[in-house]
Amino acid sequence: MRIVIVGNGPAAVAAAETIRDLDGGCGIVMVSQESVPFYSPCPLAEYVEASVPRAHLFLRPESFYRDLGIETRFGLAATAVDSAARKLTLGSGAAATQLEYDRLLIAAGARAVMPPLPGLADTPGVFALKTLADAEGILARLAQVRRAVVIGSGFIGLEAAQALVRKGVAVTVIEAMGQVLPQMLDAELAALVESRLREHGVDVRTNSAAQAVLGGAAGVAAVKAGGVDIPCELVVCAAGVRPDVAWLAGSGIATAAGVLVDDRMATNLPGIYAAGDIVETNDSLGQRRVIGNWPNAVNGGRIAGLNMMGVERRYRGLDGINVVRIFDLPVSSFGGRDGERSLCRKEGGHMRKLALRNGRIVGGQFYGDVNGTGLYHELMNKGVDVGSFEDELLAPGFGIGRLMPQPPLPLRRAA
Amino acid sequence: MEKSIFTFIEKCVACKGCEIACAVEHSSDKTLFGALADNPRPRQRVRVEAAGAYSYPARCQHCQEAACIAACPMGAMTRDPDTHAVYVDSHKCVGCWMCVMVCPFGGVSADPVAKKAHKCDRCPERTAVGLDPACVAACPTKAMVFATPEEIAELRRQATAAAAAGIATTPVASSVAAWRTMKGGA
Repeated sequence: MRIVIVGNGPAAVAAAETIRDLDGGCGIVMVSQESVPFYSPCPLAEYVEASVPRAHLFLRPESFYRDLGIETRFGLAATAVDSAARKLTLGSGAAATQLEYDRLLIAAGARAVMPPLPGLADTPGVFALKTLADAEGILARLAQVRRAVVIGSGFIGLEAAQALVRKGVAVTVIEAMGQVLPQMLDAELAALVESRLREHGVDVRTNSAAQAVLGGAAGVAAVKAGGVDIPCELVVCAAGVRPDVAWLAGSGIATAAGVLVDDRMATNLPGIYAAGDIVETNDSLGQRRVIGNWPNAVNGGRIAGLNMMGVERRYRGLDGINVVRIFDLPVSSFGGRDGERSLCRKEGGHMRKLALRNGRIVGGQFYGDVNGTGLYHELMNKGVDVGSFEDELLAPGFGIGRLMPQPPLPLRRAA
Repeated sequence: MEKSIFTFIEKCVACKGCEIACAVEHSSDKTLFGALADNPRPRQRVRVEAAGAYSYPARCQHCQEAACIAACPMGAMTRDPDTHAVYVDSHKCVGCWMCVMVCPFGGVSADPVAKKAHKCDRCPERTAVGLDPACVAACPTKAMVFATPEEIAELRRQATAAAAAGIATTPVASSVAAWRTMKGGA
């Protein structure tokens, strides 16, 4: 049996390891557009600011693929799937080759969104911060950079802004919406984040949509946003990420925003599975979503690997969790903000909020202190009715102990 | 199976001796006075929480399918191949707090000073020489017991049988040591 995996990120590697664990003999081929071994994209901003050494990005030893008997086809883009013939096409035109598979895993990830602004695609000095190549591009250019503009204030944008500030660059963050972290926080918490960014020297401009990137062959000179030219020598475009599904058009694999999979990570076509940032599937509350993050990739990759080998395991759903540090201060959220009511506790410059609906937690936001977030997240996932103790939820000392089953009184000797 | 920490919440009297013993064990010279002199002060990895009519020394459960290990994008959350305890390789941890987000028990916390994930490591230096973890050793009521699941199951069976026969029972936790002696085990 031959397993072909498109991708070389956490979902792909988790699946490959799971499959190899179950079957020492099957063929495994991993295809990746990037030419580097498996690395973690999460600390790329820390790599740019030099707090994480390059070697720490690579989470497996150099001998990983050899040790697991994995054949690699790196530096090659998968371009088409012929599900009837069970063949994957790599490359295009005369250089195209085909790879036969018995089971296929699509874990090609997501791409940085590059909005169609004049000058964005072709001016030197414009980068995303999604891949190792992006980070190395920024690093290579840094010596000639005094000022930078970050387009977008999602967590990648804010991480990039901090890294550049720490490198001594004057940073402007422009955000089209009225607040930073619009996907993650409500306006009240976002205002705290904005003031902390400003305290650390970041020029934050909300309600400021990028209109054009100005410059020429020598490099970027400014970003035009909200009618103003913001001079800079570097642009980081952090306008979000999107599943990389364009190449699957015509394959018959059902896609919407991402590749649609069921709770076994199976697509609509037999033998074809998907996992990682590319999938669109139910979250833990049963809503179909695309949520790219590391835990979802690893857990989905594992579930895919098991089901591909005939071990039935069902995924409990994507976790909508976010965590970012704003100049070392942790900020996190999970779930949604569309509760009927919200609980809020402010203490020592920190803020914690929970959204409730029908006596259940449907989301949370935390600024400054994220401890215990996992417990609230689990209460949401399990649909626990917290109505009877909701006034205790955000009180200090609340913990798993509150949820312990009460043992009966100790046994007494029979009279 | 290997030993792990079992908790009998009906015996916990919330004295917080486990918290102090844990902090001391994770201090530079492992003495109370040394721990007080440490800067930053060592932080405990067990927290006594209110549990209705009882109290509960909460800590990492060292889960078999640990959400924190899957969630760590730095490969820093690691399982010891010998003891199966889950610990943080602080050299690799960058303090992204994904582990804090996914632990359903609140067993991992963010250390605001060291900026590293902070959790129970089940005292590898103590268990390597046959000692119980510091919290277990310090517990005056034996609300925590370091034993194998088989040992606990056998004790529960004996307690149930004794109760059914109307015999006064010895509390499970305090009789682990006696049971091990009886069996001639460690």
